[in-house]
Amino acid sequence: MAPDPNRTAAGGGSGSGTSTANDEVVNKKKVENEDLSDEDLALKQQLELYVERVQDSDPALQKVALESMRQEIRTSTSSMTSVPKPLKFLRPHYGTLKAYYETMAESDLKKYLADILSVLALTMSAEGERESLKYRLLGSEGDIGSWGHEYVRNLAGEIAQEYAKRQSEEAPIDDLMELVQQIVAFHMKHNAEPEAVDLLMEVEDLDMLVDHVDKTSFKRTCLYLTSSAKYLPGPDDMLVLDIAYMTYQKFEEYPNALQIALFLDNLQYVRQVFTSCKDPQRRKQFCYILARHGITFELDDELVPEEDEKEILQEIINNTKLSEGYLTLARDIEVMEPKSPEDIYKAHLLDGRASAGASVDSARQNLAATFVNAFVNAGFGQDKLMTVPSDSSSSGSSGNWLFKNKEHGKTSAAASLGMILLWDVDSGLAQIDKYFHSNDNHVIAGALLGVGIVNCGIKNDCDPAMALLGDYTDKEDSSIRIGAIMGLGIAYAGSQNEQLRCKLAPILNDAKASLDVIAFTAISLGLIYVGSCNEEVAQAIIFALMDRSESELGEPLTRLLPLGLGLLYLGKQESVEATAEVSKTFNEKIRKYCDMTLLSCAYAGTGNVLKVQNLLGHCSQHLDKGETHQGPAVLGIAMVAMAEELGLEMAIRSLEHLLQYGEQNIRRAVPLALGLLCISNPKVNVMDTLSRLSHDTDLEVAMAAVISLGLIGAGTNNARIAGMLRNLSSYYYKDTSLLFCVRIAQGLVHLGKGLLTLNPYHSDRFLLSPTALAGLITMLHACLDMKAIVLGKYHYVLYFLVLAMQPRMLLTVDEDLRPLSVPVRVGQAVDVVGQAGRPKTITGFQTHSTPVLLAAGDRAELATEKYLPLSPILEGFVILKENPDYREE
Amino acid sequence: MIPVSVKWQKELFKDVEIDTTQPPYVFKCQLYDLTGVPPERQKIMVKGGLLKDDADWSTLGVKEGQKLMMMGTADEIIKSPEKGTVFVEDLPEEEQVVAVGHTAGLFNLGNTCYMNSTLQCLHSVPELKSALIQYSHSGRNNDVDQSSHLLTVATRDLFNELDKSVKPVAPMQFWMLLRKKYPQFGQLHNGVFMQQDAEECWTQLLYTLSQSLRSNGSSENADAVKALFGIELISRIHCQESNEESSETESVYSLKCHISQEVNHLHEGIKHGLKSELEKASPALGRSAIYLKESRINALPRYLTVQFVRFFWKRESNQKAKILRKVDYPLELDVYDFCSDDLRKKLEAPRKLLRDEEGKKLGLKGSEKSSVQKDNDEKMADAEGSSNGGGEPSVAPMEEGEKAAEMTGIYDLVAVLTHKGRSADSGHYVGWVKQENGKWIEFDDDNPKPRIEDDITRLSGGGDWHMAYIIMYKARVVSV
Repeated sequence: MAPDPNRTAAGGGSGSGTSTANDEVVNKKKVENEDLSDEDLALKQQLELYVERVQDSDPALQKVALESMRQEIRTSTSSMTSVPKPLKFLRPHYGTLKAYYETMAESDLKKYLADILSVLALTMSAEGERESLKYRLLGSEGDIGSWGHEYVRNLAGEIAQEYAKRQSEEAPIDDLMELVQQIVAFHMKHNAEPEAVDLLMEVEDLDMLVDHVDKTSFKRTCLYLTSSAKYLPGPDDMLVLDIAYMTYQKFEEYPNALQIALFLDNLQYVRQVFTSCKDPQRRKQFCYILARHGITFELDDELVPEEDEKEILQEIINNTKLSEGYLTLARDIEVMEPKSPEDIYKAHLLDGRASAGASVDSARQNLAATFVNAFVNAGFGQDKLMTVPSDSSSSGSSGNWLFKNKEHGKTSAAASLGMILLWDVDSGLAQIDKYFHSNDNHVIAGALLGVGIVNCGIKNDCDPAMALLGDYTDKEDSSIRIGAIMGLGIAYAGSQNEQLRCKLAPILNDAKASLDVIAFTAISLGLIYVGSCNEEVAQAIIFALMDRSESELGEPLTRLLPLGLGLLYLGKQESVEATAEVSKTFNEKIRKYCDMTLLSCAYAGTGNVLKVQNLLGHCSQHLDKGETHQGPAVLGIAMVAMAEELGLEMAIRSLEHLLQYGEQNIRRAVPLALGLLCISNPKVNVMDTLSRLSHDTDLEVAMAAVISLGLIGAGTNNARIAGMLRNLSSYYYKDTSLLFCVRIAQGLVHLGKGLLTLNPYHSDRFLLSPTALAGLITMLHACLDMKAIVLGKYHYVLYFLVLAMQPRMLLTVDEDLRPLSVPVRVGQAVDVVGQAGRPKTITGFQTHSTPVLLAAGDRAELATEKYLPLSPILEGFVILKENPDYREE
Repeated sequence: MIPVSVKWQKELFKDVEIDTTQPPYVFKCQLYDLTGVPPERQKIMVKGGLLKDDADWSTLGVKEGQKLMMMGTADEIIKSPEKGTVFVEDLPEEEQVVAVGHTAGLFNLGNTCYMNSTLQCLHSVPELKSALIQYSHSGRNNDVDQSSHLLTVATRDLFNELDKSVKPVAPMQFWMLLRKKYPQFGQLHNGVFMQQDAEECWTQLLYTLSQSLRSNGSSENADAVKALFGIELISRIHCQESNEESSETESVYSLKCHISQEVNHLHEGIKHGLKSELEKASPALGRSAIYLKESRINALPRYLTVQFVRFFWKRESNQKAKILRKVDYPLELDVYDFCSDDLRKKLEAPRKLLRDEEGKKLGLKGSEKSSVQKDNDEKMADAEGSSNGGGEPSVAPMEEGEKAAEMTGIYDLVAVLTHKGRSADSGHYVGWVKQENGKWIEFDDDNPKPRIEDDITRLSGGGDWHMAYIIMYKARVVSV
């Protein structure tokens, strides 16, 4: 494909027809040119001749020589497989030409020579001299692309250096920018968008990009912008995304624009997307995207003037149809049949090594079964323990199972009903209703929590959760209070509901409230105001923390207070600084803990390498005073680094080191951090590490590892993890605490019978749902002290996971939002950032018909031309419209 | 009158009219007619919370056509059951044992695994336990020396303790008294107690128990231990040279399984062990001659003990060396081949009965051919269960029990005492005991572990893993 430089050079030489002129020179130099072929030799002589003629006094002759030289170089620089011959042969004459240039009078010819010198400098100028650029600026400003790609690339590099220099000297840059204009235009035309973007980033003028992108290049450009944003330091990353947003807007690629708006957490942009796109179908798709992200967004008349449409759209945002869609998927995959905990334990595969059939109920084991049952049947509306219709016995078997749990266990049992009926508010409330009238406070607490869980992620005009739970937050009994408060936190996570703040904030400073009530209030407020940086809530929690006595600060549950504070700043980076300053005045016992929690929350999901290093630094210290802040620091590493693949892999390796050199309190947190990094994504190396740790001599490390095995396998039905856990269940059959953890993990692996995921990242791993992450880290922080919290009487913290639960499905619907089955290809996603052309985005695919399940790292594409998807990312609910150009074959 | 719509569960009632002049209670009664939910159980969501019975409509700002949501059911309110569930965690320790499914382990007091494993195996014999219970502390007979008496009492107490606890038991008292009675177990080596031969412990302990339980006074069970473990052998002694023949009977507590080159299976080993050569003075020849002794079983015990003769005195190394040869043993042993003709005749009828019974069971479960193996296991457990029922209550009704239940010559494996290591005085002893629920437990000192049947048959030797040293079978009986 590339033209042979030798041949073209020889052709050029013969064209000028002066090869016989300098025989003497030829003879002189023959000795050193022995290894050259005849063609090369001819070219060499030709060029030497030009060099001489350029220095001739006759301008006409000079011009001809320059033209010819230019010709030679141009024809050869189109390819860059090796150093082009003309450049090679001109190398010895570069100095001569440069010297001559200096002596020349100002003229067109001088400019011509400058052009040539600029090209020659490409290979000849010394490092850092930037002569290519210098001569380019002095040159004739002709078409920049005519000298070939390599020249442009080199120029771009020198511009970047020059720019930095001039910035520091505060010199004018107009001439540079003009050149940049040309280069960018050239790159954009020639499928080299990444280079154009890189150059513009160097010269800090990304705005220019918007003028240069066109219909063919904007997609690749934006893809490059969005993926490079992850590696840029602030505030550049925001700027880059801004540009991407504007570009998408310009080319009416609204779903992508919306995603960037959500990434930036910029509601103004979200509204802009709505106002700029009037197509009702596309708007519906926007609403599905908003619903998946889990933010509260109120449509108003300005955005959607028409009442009917508004109602439909708001209903989508409110997730009211989520349950329906999920059940459609379940019916399609034929997993509606409820599963009992025994179906999950699969004890029959254990050769009777499991504990001999217990004739007496164990409260611990029944509690585990309650959770397993809730996790496995989550959202299906039916199970084999709680919703079984009462038949022969007077109180019904559901009542029976409820009372097979002991004291606080009944709270979790009653709340599990909420999990089973997840997202189905109407039937959920109806079924939970009867528990409100119980005379057992634990049961009422569970019912309240259950109402919260049912409403998780769902908004309803009538606000049933608020109406039902509101009255219970000030009851005497602290278990009822906790149930109501936690329920509100889960139901209204991310809503920033003012009314709730007024209701809950006073509890924090209520002298009569017990520590656990205050701790759960802080978490609930943190969830409701997640990532809002709300001053008032922060103040309230800070005061509550300051009011704690020395002994209370040592309590395991106190850790939820700093966490509640941290959630307010989730992912908000610098905004946390003021609060972090305040936290420095706290009691020494909690100061560092608070510092770590705030830091890790604020930078969660940013991939900020500096913060990861900072946290690692804290972990490298060997403490002897029994401080506890290293636990959240380890979790923090995972929270910050989980943002993108590369950082994630590095964090996994760093955690391995911590495991070897860290103190016990660090080792206990490492499995949990691994669990967060690979949530619902069972990477084999992590699985092996956790499997090893699950037999650790330190029981708490083992417990954390077991729970994390559940987390990384959550909702995957991963056979290998299931097998590991089964073996662990027989290994630990005597240790009730560990067995409990194993059971929970088993439940998690089969979460929603394998239809759910806990991954807070969605939309091609681009967007991070703040409420989902908040739920996960709350649960993980609680797991830092497994014995006191999860194995104690606060096991219902496990229900915080509900915030992260989402169906891992692709459900295609038609324009009337009815499920529509179409063939799709599902395969491993391929990273196509910076690749030219239209590369394949998935590999190793299989064709299914929707609805389908998507595993971690999977991507789907339509296998039919008949429909066009309204969202470029095929995840969750996607509206299809008929392709007008489609012809039946 | 404001018409509103009310959403209740999945139903929607349109155009329900609110009479704003009346208190909300009236509205609730209206809904009662529609839904059947009594007013006091209705929860109606309005702005700012639930609709109170005495609220003022005007302050609530209900608009025409507004959608209200009502929650509530007419379902029966769940009540806690009168009898609360009892949880394992609440139970006293002795009751937790039942839930755990096996009895406690025994702490190793310093090379006492031989004793622990022996105790665990013997502890699995319910009849022995009940015989011990009857043994009273004060009822010492003059025939028995003080130390035997105390050892018997200690055994009784230890067995009791094992049954009652979940956590491992330290057999201090027993260990002290065992040493007192049999000083050889108190040998010291480098200041610590030496490992001993479990077989010696087993034999001595049974001997002591048989002594003290025999003299218990009550005439009906003259020798409880003998009734349980005693094997009556009838031997024919034959001298090839003189063709003299004599026969004698003896009672032993265990069969020996001799291990030689050609022995691969328990059956062959026992056969081997029942034949012996002895040299004694022949009255006919007037000198000592080689006599062949061939023994047959004349009466079967309830518990058949077989000892693998794995150890022999090796002079050059001055220790009891071990034969590592693999000798398979079945989970179900038929001793018919070793019985005397008289006994065989006696066994005919019960065996036929047993076969019929099994045939019937197989016939019933014929359809599940694939799971025959499993069925067999179950049946074994069943058969065992029934025999337990017959013999368990105490030793006293055993006589009647035997009348009703006939021996069949078929035995089921219930306990295995294994040794790991190269000589009898070193290595490690472990007891493997089948529980009443049919599950196997490996009692490795203080750490009982559940095992499966496959693990048990794997103990037949041929390597450095645990191998069976003493095994105990339980008779399968049929009721006539």
